[in-house]
Amino acid sequence: MSTWKELLSEQIPAEMGNLIDIYEAQMELRKQGKLDEKVFAEARLRKGVYGQRYDNGQRHDGVRTRELAYPSDETVKGPDTLWDAPGMQRIKIPYGGLTAEQLETLSELADEYSDGILHITTRQDIQLHYVHIDDTPDLMRRLAAVGITTQEACGNSVRNITACALAGVCHDEVFDVSPYADAMTQFLLSHDDVQDFGRKFKVAFSGCAGHACGLVKMHDLGLLAQTREINGELQRGFTVYVGGGLGTVPHQAKVLAEFATEEELLPLTQAIARVFARLGEKKNRNRARIKFLVAKLGIDEFRRLVEEELQTLPSDERHSAYIGNLSDFTYKPAKAGMALNGRPLPDGFDDWYRSNVYHQVQAGYSTITLHTPLGDFTSEQGFKLADIARRYVGDNIRLSVEQNIALRWVANADLPAIYRDLCAIGLGDAHAGTIVDITACPGTDTCKLGIASSRGLTAELRARLIEKINLLPDAVRELKIKVSGCFNSCGQHHVADIGFFGNSRRSGNHKMPHFQVVLGGQWQENAGAYGLAVGAVPAKTVPDALEALTERYVAERADDESFQVWVKALGRKEIKAMLQPFMQLPSFEDSPIYFSDWGDSRVYTIDDIGVGECAGEVVSLFSMEIAKAESTHFEALLALDDHDYSLADENAYKAMVLAARALVRTKYLDVGDDYDNIVDEFRSRFYDTELVFDRFAKGKFARYLFKRHGTAPERINEDYAHQIIDETQLFIENVHSAEQRINGVIVS
Amino acid sequence: MATVPKRLGVKFSLIREPQLQPLDIVPIFQRWIQQHTVDGMLIDVIDYKHVPNGPGIVLIADEADFAYDLGDGQIGLHYIRKRSLPGDLPSALRQCFFYALQAARALEAEAPGDIAFDFTSAKISFLDRMHYRNEAAKLDEIRAELAGCIADIYGAPTEVTREYDDPRRLFAVRCRAQAADVDVAAMMERLQASMQKA
Repeated sequence: MSTWKELLSEQIPAEMGNLIDIYEAQMELRKQGKLDEKVFAEARLRKGVYGQRYDNGQRHDGVRTRELAYPSDETVKGPDTLWDAPGMQRIKIPYGGLTAEQLETLSELADEYSDGILHITTRQDIQLHYVHIDDTPDLMRRLAAVGITTQEACGNSVRNITACALAGVCHDEVFDVSPYADAMTQFLLSHDDVQDFGRKFKVAFSGCAGHACGLVKMHDLGLLAQTREINGELQRGFTVYVGGGLGTVPHQAKVLAEFATEEELLPLTQAIARVFARLGEKKNRNRARIKFLVAKLGIDEFRRLVEEELQTLPSDERHSAYIGNLSDFTYKPAKAGMALNGRPLPDGFDDWYRSNVYHQVQAGYSTITLHTPLGDFTSEQGFKLADIARRYVGDNIRLSVEQNIALRWVANADLPAIYRDLCAIGLGDAHAGTIVDITACPGTDTCKLGIASSRGLTAELRARLIEKINLLPDAVRELKIKVSGCFNSCGQHHVADIGFFGNSRRSGNHKMPHFQVVLGGQWQENAGAYGLAVGAVPAKTVPDALEALTERYVAERADDESFQVWVKALGRKEIKAMLQPFMQLPSFEDSPIYFSDWGDSRVYTIDDIGVGECAGEVVSLFSMEIAKAESTHFEALLALDDHDYSLADENAYKAMVLAARALVRTKYLDVGDDYDNIVDEFRSRFYDTELVFDRFAKGKFARYLFKRHGTAPERINEDYAHQIIDETQLFIENVHSAEQRINGVIVS
Repeated sequence: MATVPKRLGVKFSLIREPQLQPLDIVPIFQRWIQQHTVDGMLIDVIDYKHVPNGPGIVLIADEADFAYDLGDGQIGLHYIRKRSLPGDLPSALRQCFFYALQAARALEAEAPGDIAFDFTSAKISFLDRMHYRNEAAKLDEIRAELAGCIADIYGAPTEVTREYDDPRRLFAVRCRAQAADVDVAAMMERLQASMQKA
């Protein structure tokens, strides 16, 4: 065995393996210049392979902008994105659920392809940074072998579906949303109806209305668990929210349906996806999220369109089949639940117990939160954490949207022991969920859009706050701080008590890193309210401004007055006046330190900001689908080179069908995957109508498809394989030409 | 002949904990980028000092990473070659030792007397589980070739032992020169000569 593909061939599910093979073939085609860079960029993003800062080959070193001369400087993996530049691999972890084995594999990959660090995102993903694109197919195969996919982790697709990390063990939840999040993940993954969005689509589940956790109101689609009584029986369902989102202009989601039953959940989601794909903005990506469509149409019209779409959905047994499997979704604790037994407790346990332990609804068990600063942990910690999980909780590991790790189903009697074990691997820090547990996006560390160092500021704030955490009044300890490196809100600054997002201001002839202060957002009630920007302060004065703000809150608040209420009562004008002393801009000559960002000694510049890939490339559905046909044709060529003529025939035939399907789907989205249906639809829609006919060859190329579809070859040899591969190439070209004639320009 | 791993690392540890803090390394590495202090296409500096026993402060380059590494509770300079490794293990090892020594000496020059490395010992990491599973048998298989190669690098006999017992961790070995001290300048000259010859 010499490749991961060969070694893991038995363990990788066929469909996942096929998608990775297609991606690998697309990589090869791109390197050869045979696949458009925009199409490849979107295909790459949909595999979670994302660009990083400086991948355009330029970096300001503090003195001047220098060229980064990557070896393959002619080859790009997307517009202005050099092939050899390190990138980020996003890995979807649906509802944050991990097994010990998966954690070990992720740790192995961080060792071998990244820098030894695993980063938890605010969407319960894992990200590896500084990954070379050439390593990504093997990385994906190793993940697939343990049941993890990166499919549609980025790009204009359905992103990782999130849910509360306490789902299933929470006192307040209506019911456990985990199996529903799991079912929706499986239903939407690579679904035909989610391939033609103008932008990404984020889905979240929450088990209760009152607490934060799922944050459904800031999502494109939010599902809030509900029950109702029908004829004396309790029926499960969801309040369906649509059109929420943060970003530059945050929108609160609107209620699309007060109660969607279990049977209605998936078809309703599918109908929403279809309306979004059909009517959502495709050209202007700044207005392409579903929130803009809902705002433009109004929720009533949007609802009407969704209901209309529901009537046209083809029947699909998966819409309700999952309901029968819900009871299979169970938890296996490693040990029986037991109370704490009064034995001596280790040093530091009390603080940790106070902030990091949540007593589950199941008697005798707790969920503990592992506070990972900046969402980072090492591969070595990953291996040892897998051991701890096996010893105490089994596979009950969840990542949280607050960039932490939850171990669920800890027997209470084990709490002192697990605390000792976690301390031994550096994961026993107390204060999870408190003011020191700050959420931050990657910012200028690795993000192309970062304006200021969100991680640098977070590290500084954390270091200062942790020094005095035990002196802080509870009202301050419990505040949430969230930091974004720019206005795009990846750090979720809108829903924090105190949020910051990076921007810059000019002082004299120099730029100075700043953070806009956003106050009064509400994490509770599923992101119930968004904060208001009150003014920008230089990055270096943010810690002092924070101290002044919290001290005044403590001094002036009425009994039990929340931070949101206090901020609102104080008013924006007064808050701005309070922050004014921290907003002064010294000159570069007087205070050069103000002109460097936190954790970065370079003189600050915004010259490194690039074009973000967050939005993905706006590429037509046809372009994406025909690219799959082309990469499958390429696989046929590889099989021919390997003298595997049967495989060459199989792939060539499949490539022709995929090309036909790409064209059919421009007119008929629901054609499905069945070869007979695809060929029949292609024949009636494009061949019988002569739409696919070449000016000179007429229907000759289409007949290559009909011939192969009608009769399997009797004898497959090298000559035959050559012939069918050539015919496939001609047919694909024919489909390209036809599509341009019929539909016009293919890439927006 | 042993396979060249996908990535190969060499780490030299400090003799004692320095006054210099990990945070102080950030401007040093930033300056190295400006001044091309070490060889390679230097890209950026990333700060992981908040992670216990982690990679610390990392200078990212196209072909390698230079980490002021905090792993295993031993502060050190960890050079990890990621790309463009030579086609045979001895050459790959010579390359990694050379650049690791170059960076370690450059770091010593930043804080003379405070930053001091123990060059008699090095950890060699094979970042390639496909070809290098962390098993005792793997070391048995390559011990002779590895020991010979490292002895050539040091110009003295060396002892080679496996670094981690946990089979999930990377295959890594600790090599120790059987000498009280090593002449680093002479070692680098030898390495450079053999690299140029190759």
